[in-house]
Amino acid sequence: MANVVPAEEFAELTGGRVHLLRGGTGEPVLFLHAAGGAGEWHPFHGLLAARGFEVIAPDHPGFGKSDDFPSVEAIDDLVFHYLDVLDALGLRRPHVVGASFGGWIAAELAVYAPHRIGSLTLLSAAGLRLPEHPVTDLFLLPPDKLVATLFHNPPPPAPATGAAPDLDAIIAAYREATSLARFSWVPFLNDPKLERRLARITAPALVAAPSDDRLIPVEHAKRYAERIPDATYTEVPECGHAMYFERPAEFAALVADFLSSHPLVMAESGAGL
Amino acid sequence: MKFSFFHLMPYPYLPDDFDERYDSTALTYPNANFSPALGASLYARYLDELEYADQLGFDGVAVNEHHQSAYGLMPSPNLMAAALTRRTSRARIMVLGNAIGIRGNPLRVAEEIAMLDLMSGGRVDSGFVRGIGWEYFGHSINPTKSRSRFNEAHDLILKAWTSPEMFSWYGENYEYRYVNLWPRPLQQPHPPIYIPGAGSTETMKFCAERRYTYMSVYAPTRIVRRWFDGYRDAAADLGYEPDPERIAFSVPVYVAETDEKAHAEAQPAVEWLYRKGLKQTAEMVTPPGYMSPGSLRGVLSSGMRPLGGFSYEDLLAQGQAVVGSPASVADRLGKLYADLGGFGQLIGLFAIGPLSHEQVMRSAELFATEVMPVLRPLGVMRDKATA
Repeated sequence: MANVVPAEEFAELTGGRVHLLRGGTGEPVLFLHAAGGAGEWHPFHGLLAARGFEVIAPDHPGFGKSDDFPSVEAIDDLVFHYLDVLDALGLRRPHVVGASFGGWIAAELAVYAPHRIGSLTLLSAAGLRLPEHPVTDLFLLPPDKLVATLFHNPPPPAPATGAAPDLDAIIAAYREATSLARFSWVPFLNDPKLERRLARITAPALVAAPSDDRLIPVEHAKRYAERIPDATYTEVPECGHAMYFERPAEFAALVADFLSSHPLVMAESGAGL
Repeated sequence: MKFSFFHLMPYPYLPDDFDERYDSTALTYPNANFSPALGASLYARYLDELEYADQLGFDGVAVNEHHQSAYGLMPSPNLMAAALTRRTSRARIMVLGNAIGIRGNPLRVAEEIAMLDLMSGGRVDSGFVRGIGWEYFGHSINPTKSRSRFNEAHDLILKAWTSPEMFSWYGENYEYRYVNLWPRPLQQPHPPIYIPGAGSTETMKFCAERRYTYMSVYAPTRIVRRWFDGYRDAAADLGYEPDPERIAFSVPVYVAETDEKAHAEAQPAVEWLYRKGLKQTAEMVTPPGYMSPGSLRGVLSSGMRPLGGFSYEDLLAQGQAVVGSPASVADRLGKLYADLGGFGQLIGLFAIGPLSHEQVMRSAELFATEVMPVLRPLGVMRDKATA
C-alpha cells in the first residue's frame, strides 16, 4: 500500500512555474515541505496517501524544480503565493500539513485565510519568536553538525568515495539555502506578529513535535498548541527535527489518524472552484 | 607607482589553544578574550604607525571596516580616518572601505566621508565594500540582499555628494524624503572611489564604467592576474585603456636588513594572518545568497583553496606575501608587477598579525627609503610619464 507512485506536475502562476508531486486518492492534503525535502516523495508521503488521501506536495519558490519567484521576498509574500497555488489547483479548503519551515507557512496561511484551511497540521513548525528558546542557526552549521542537530540518532556519515564533489548538487543546495535566507534571515525564522494572530485560526489543528528537537525547541510547538483555539498537541518519542525522515511510519500514522478524524466538508474542499 | 600603508589593526593576542578551540577569530570568538587595556594600547600604537607612514612619504594611509573580530579592530574606519586627519599632513587618507552592504543608513556614510574630506583638506579616498560573509550574520543583514543594498547605497551616496539640489529617494532597500547633504565634500565632484574585486565580472564592469580604482584582495598571483585582466578587458570594451593607477595590488609586505632576518621574523606573522586571522568556516565565508550561483560555480571550479591550507613557502611563491631584504622585496615586487600585467598602486599590509611595533616601523622605513625609489617609475600612465 505504501508504494503510491506520485505524478509530477507543474502549476503555472503569473510569476512562474510551481513544481509539485501528487499521489493517492481521497481528500486533498496540501503538504508544505521543510527547508530540506523539496521535490522528494518520501515513504511518509506514500504511507499517508495509502491511508486514503490525495497528497499534493509543491516545491516552495526557489526550491526543487519550482521557479525562483523573485518577487516572493518574505513570509507574507509566501502566504499570497500559496493562496495562488490553492486557486491554481482548485483547492477550496484542503487539509494543510506543514513541516518546520513549511509549518510556518501553513500557520500563516491559516491566520490570513482561515476559510481556506480544512484542517491544519504543524510538524515542529518554525515561525514563532521565543527568545528564551532560540532556534539553532542552521545557516552557520557545517554539514556534519547539521546532521547531528537534525536527528535523534544521526545516521553514520556516508563513506568517502574520493569522487569529486558534485558541483551541480552544491549549487542546487546553495540555491535552496539562498531561498530560505531570502524569506527568513531576519527576523530569523519567525514573524513577531504571528503568535498574537493565531487566535484567528478556525480549523482543527494538530501540533506535533519530535521529543528531541535540537533545531526548534519543543516549546515552540507547545506555544502553538496553546495559542491555536482548537489544537491537539502530540510528541513523537526518540526522534529529532528530521521527523518523518527519522520516523516515517509514526509520522504518517499520526497525521493520517488526525486527518481521518477531521473529515473535510466535501462541498467546500473543492475539486474545482 | 603609488604606495600606501594599509592597516587592519589586528588583535594578535590569541590563546595558545586557539586552533583547537575556535572556528574563527570572528563572529563566535568570545569577546571575553579581548582585553580592553591591551586594546587601548593597540589603538595608540597602530595610529602611531599610520602617522609614521605619512612622515616616511607613503602616498596613502589606509584603514578598513570589520566587525566582531580579532582579525581587524575597526568597526568604524571613519573614526580612525578622523583621527588621522589631524595627525597626518601629506598622505591620502584611504578608507578601504565602508561596508555599505551592511550599513543601516548609507546617508550617514555620505555625511561622514564628506566631513572627513573637509577635515583632511581633500585628502580622502572613499572605498566601498559589501562587508564579508560573517558580518551578515553579525549585523543581521540579509545576505541575499547584499548586492542590491551595495548598489543602491552606492548610487544614493554618489547622488547625495553631487546633487546641487535636495532630492527624494525611493529604492528597493532605502527610502528618504529629504536628501540634502550638509556638509558637501571638498573634492569635486566627489572623493575618488575604490572598490575591491574578488573575481566578480559585474564588479569589474562596474568599476571600469565609472573609472573607479579596482583593488585586489589576498589571492594567488594567477587569480589576481585574471581579475586585473578582467578589469582591463572591461575598460577596453568601453573603448579606453585604464590608467595603471586605477589598478591597486594589495599584499602583505615585510622588509628587514637581510633576507634571513626578514623571513625569520615574518614567517610567524604571515602564518598568523592566513591561518588564524583569516580562519573561518565555509558557512561564514559564503552565507546563502552572498554569491550568485554563477559566481559560486566560478569560485568552486577555479580551484581556489582555503587560505589556511598553504605553507609559508606557498604563500610567498603565490605572491600572497612579499618578504625579504630591501633589494629582494624590490625585485619580487617588480616580478609581480610583470606577472600581474602591471598596476599603479601598491596597498601594502605592513603591520602583519603579531609583528612588534619596532618591527613594523623598521619595515616601513626600509620600504620607504630603499624599495619605493626603485619601484616608483613603474605603473605610470605613458602620456603622464613623458609629460
